[in-house]
Amino acid sequence: MSLTPAELTSAVSGGIGSSPQRPDGNLKVRGEFAYASDLWHEDMIWGATLRSPHPYARIVSIDLTEALQVPGVYAVLTHQDVPGQNRYGLEHKDQPVLAEEVVRYQGEPVALVGADHPETAQRAMKRIKVEYEVLTPVVDMETAADDTPLHPGGNLVRHVPVRRGDQHAEAEVVVTGRYEVGMQDQAFLGPESGLAVPDEEGGVDLYIATQWLHVDQAQVAAALGLPLEQVRLTLSGVGGAFGGREDLSMQVHACLLALHTGKPTKMVYNREESFYGHVHRHPAVLYYEHGADHTGRLVYVKARIYLDGGAYASSTGAVVANAATLGVGPYDVDNVTVDCWGVYTNNPPCGAMRGFGAVQAGFAYESQMDKLAEALGMDPVDLRIVNAMSEGSVMPTGQVIDSAAPVAQLLKLVKDKPMPPLSTVVDLRDMPGGVSNTTHGEGVVRGVGYAVGIKNICFSEGYDDYSTARVRLQVINGEPAALAHTAAAEVGQGLVTIMQQIVRTELGVERVTILPMDTSIGNGGSTSASRQTYVTGGAVKAACAAVREKLAKLAASRDLSAVDIAGTDLTGVDLAELLGDEVIDETVEWRHRATEPIDPETGQGNAHVQYGFAAHRAVVDVDVELGLVKVVELDCAQDVGKALNPQAVLGQIQGGSAQGLGLAVMEEIQTAGGKVRNPSFTDYLIPTVLDMPPMSIDVLELADPHAPYGVRGVGEPPTISSTPAIVAAIRAATGLALTRVPVRPEHITGT
Amino acid sequence: MIPFDYRLAPDVDGAVAAATGWGGVAFLAGGTNLVDHMKLGVAAPEVLVDISRLPLDAVEELPDGGLRIGATVRNSDLAAHPAVRRDYPVLARALLSGASGQVRNLATTGGNLLQRTRCAYFQDLSTPCNKREPGTGCSAIGGYTRQHAILGASAHCVATHPSDMAVAMAALDAQVTVLGTSGRRVIPLVELHRLPGDEPHRDTVLSPSDLITAVELPPLPEGTRSLYRKVRDRASYAFALVSVAAVLRVEDGVVRDVRIALGGVAHKPWRARRAEDVLRGSPVDGSPADEEVFRRAAEAELAGAAPLAGNGFKVPLARNTVVSALRGLSREER
Ligand SMILES: Cc1cc2nc3c(=O)[nH]c(=O)nc-3n(C[C@H](O)[C@H](O)[C@H](O)COP(=O)(O)OP(=O)(O)OC[C@H]3O[C@@H](n4cnc5c(N)ncnc54)[C@H](O)[C@@H]3O)c2cc1C
Ligand code: SF4
Repeated sequence: MSLTPAELTSAVSGGIGSSPQRPDGNLKVRGEFAYASDLWHEDMIWGATLRSPHPYARIVSIDLTEALQVPGVYAVLTHQDVPGQNRYGLEHKDQPVLAEEVVRYQGEPVALVGADHPETAQRAMKRIKVEYEVLTPVVDMETAADDTPLHPGGNLVRHVPVRRGDQHAEAEVVVTGRYEVGMQDQAFLGPESGLAVPDEEGGVDLYIATQWLHVDQAQVAAALGLPLEQVRLTLSGVGGAFGGREDLSMQVHACLLALHTGKPTKMVYNREESFYGHVHRHPAVLYYEHGADHTGRLVYVKARIYLDGGAYASSTGAVVANAATLGVGPYDVDNVTVDCWGVYTNNPPCGAMRGFGAVQAGFAYESQMDKLAEALGMDPVDLRIVNAMSEGSVMPTGQVIDSAAPVAQLLKLVKDKPMPPLSTVVDLRDMPGGVSNTTHGEGVVRGVGYAVGIKNICFSEGYDDYSTARVRLQVINGEPAALAHTAAAEVGQGLVTIMQQIVRTELGVERVTILPMDTSIGNGGSTSASRQTYVTGGAVKAACAAVREKLAKLAASRDLSAVDIAGTDLTGVDLAELLGDEVIDETVEWRHRATEPIDPETGQGNAHVQYGFAAHRAVVDVDVELGLVKVVELDCAQDVGKALNPQAVLGQIQGGSAQGLGLAVMEEIQTAGGKVRNPSFTDYLIPTVLDMPPMSIDVLELADPHAPYGVRGVGEPPTISSTPAIVAAIRAATGLALTRVPVRPEHITGT
Repeated sequence: MIPFDYRLAPDVDGAVAAATGWGGVAFLAGGTNLVDHMKLGVAAPEVLVDISRLPLDAVEELPDGGLRIGATVRNSDLAAHPAVRRDYPVLARALLSGASGQVRNLATTGGNLLQRTRCAYFQDLSTPCNKREPGTGCSAIGGYTRQHAILGASAHCVATHPSDMAVAMAALDAQVTVLGTSGRRVIPLVELHRLPGDEPHRDTVLSPSDLITAVELPPLPEGTRSLYRKVRDRASYAFALVSVAAVLRVEDGVVRDVRIALGGVAHKPWRARRAEDVLRGSPVDGSPADEEVFRRAAEAELAGAAPLAGNGFKVPLARNTVVSALRGLSREER
């Protein structure tokens, strides 16, 4: 009774495979969309967070006296005011809601102020006296495990070994390298914000910009010491996420203030606070050794990967597993020895960010592939194709790839694209350095680089990953109308549109309303791991199927059984007539096929649900004299299984590639001694329109038979291969080794 | 934010009068730097004297061919002014390479000159900083110094001046007109900003009630070329790692006049007199042999460079940028 893509013959427009207008699109472009920072409530107060200025310190005393005396202050709270468990975390509950005896990172919340105006709150906050005994921070990820323990049990969050084949394999050609990846920020534009409204019975409603309502709800309820039903969350307008909203920021804080004062409480971070208020991408140090025979076939890959998790675990464990299991890239390798460690330090906490461990490994293994090609005197694309995995390949974890893995095809697609012409007219916007007239074309060298990457889609390692969808069908004003409800967060990626498209296709109903996302329905899972179209899309599709079954029964009872509703399509069925006054309302919990935990000693196991692949070709112009890089063109080929919304697919590929460009040449949170030195958009640089080149994109649609409609997650793969392709191009232009990203002018000009 | 008095200056003399006699006073022009600092708590003036509506917003062409730029002329307007684009391309380009269109629409001539360093520690109240709080120490030394000075720094401060416009003006021998409590005076732009020495809290030679009223640019002789080159981490909207403003006049294959200023390398726009000395009178004919002269000039200037742990790259980068700018100028057609 499920439809395969080929059978889809929906009569209504705006179904899957088309790119209907997003309901939020016009509003956003016109600046009328209500983001969480626009939330407002009569009589609300404002919360502010006092944060630690030190990366590591003992709290000797906290004196609130003066802060409480500031007129307009309603409450000043510390860890003593946390009624429930003063610990939260995605994988380990190791992070205090408000610090107790120690602070472990600069920016750690210590106290909260609730006041009648944000300025009053700020003023009172400055009157809180905290005496710290400053301790020496642990900041080196490679030695952290043996350094001062920052948590009971020491500083190793997780070690994942992967062992496959001969551990002592030898090869004719061997290349080794040490690579570094700087700390990247999600840099979403809408800062953290939320509004907590207390109810009459001691519970609270929280309106919040988040990625995952239910995991927030569970953590907030535990910290407040309330049963789940007394903590209700509703998604508010989210201005981007990229992983940075998977952990709690002010969720508990706003609720604490609201419950304490009995007043609706709003909190909004400013840009600087936002840099302290969310996790970042793990910086990494990666040691690799690749061995190959003279034809280029990989004999073995060995890797030691260190990921800096910062002060609290967040999702470090899962990031470690990703970097380890995806650590050799989309290649067939029989003999693999990978070790990946995630550690605690006093650097900013790191967790989820688009690409999730696969980005760091991707930069290293693709750099190695280029190095190997050079050692072999081979073309770097040919070398990759010789080793490219394909359907039926076995991962280093022993997992067999059981759907399309068109790695070689993706590489050929980007390689065969026409080259951008060498510019003859000097348009300064096209020159390294851009409009500041920095380069006049002299000393500019062109380079071309390629990369391909692999990413797991959906949650892995045996996690019970599901989503819940409710679909309601009834006649409104004489027309059939559908309504869909989930708790899956729309963060800007276009999930709302996708859900509408699926309902249109499945039920043949044009009018589809998506209810606000909230916790009154079951878990929708996280908007991460490129999983929502797959999992929540799957749930909506399944709920539609349940609705159709009800329709079929209705038809039978009305003696309209001649119409086979469940089997084919709804063309020709007069739904309004069939439904009459009936309301069909179905809720379904939908799971993708199960995964397994990996063996802790060998890393073996069917850890992942699905794999996504993308390849990039980057063309750069480098002013070698001034160290300036202009990415002239960044082309991509990606398999998306099925493009439910082709425009959204292109948007994801462009955005992901841009984020990869940022990591390649500019984005890095600079830390010194555990302190962030550039917490602003003036100092933390993300690509502007002048830095991002045009893209030519090829989208393959090789359906995955295990996934709804054959979809394959889209959001993350382009982020992985974009970075190494650009760096490879800069290497090709300059002949430099460039083992660290971001590559900055000084890496090109030397010191 | 801390409470402060706000006064709208009635006229130019009134602005100075309103600012006189206060400990903490600041003129408010475009506010793009000052207001940020007030929000951060880096600046906490008791009195703000708003000069944004004073009639100092004109660009006048002077009879001798020079230009007088009012202190409240917006950076965007100045960059677009026909006389600037025609006669002082170095200035137009420096302005356009700074900040963003939105910021330039607000930013003024006076405010741009007096904008404060982007040293991360200066803006972070939780760290010691001699410039923000004299005597507390310098956190940058031994810390994160990628953006910091390689020339003219002291053991008390290693900050750089962030302005692009000021670097161009330094190369143009601009003169700054200042109205103070004791009347009007004219200060060469290259003497407006100070080196940090043991008083890094003083960016300039001005006192708090000194009002900049105008900047004058002397005329450039026929045949003079000028340009601005800025090296930064992305194509727009980023401060300079290193920048070079260069003014060059070559006659009969010999350098007759050359003026070079460097940005991003010192506490002030750095006039490269040593490089100029090497170049003046040297043969330059657009041939590859020029490179050698340009390089010697740059190296002469940078011989005194004292890079810090995190900014050694600025020395070769500054050298290359000087060479590249001079090469560009000596070959420029037009
Ligand atoms: C995001 C961002 C990016 C930027 N990027 C760059 C860049 O790349 N390059 C660059 O050069 N600049 C850059 N800037 C800085 C910008 O150029 C300055 O903020 C601007 O020029 C300051 O001018 P203003 O009129 O707004 O000054 P204000 O903020 O009003 O004043 C600055 C200071 O000057 C004093 N002052 C102002 N006018 C006078 C006067 N007439 N007499 C005496 N004192 C006066 C004020 O009291 C204050 O102390 C950037 C700024 C921002 C916010
Ligand atoms: S370099 Fe100057 S501005 Fe920066 S911390 Fe040191 S004293 Fe302060």
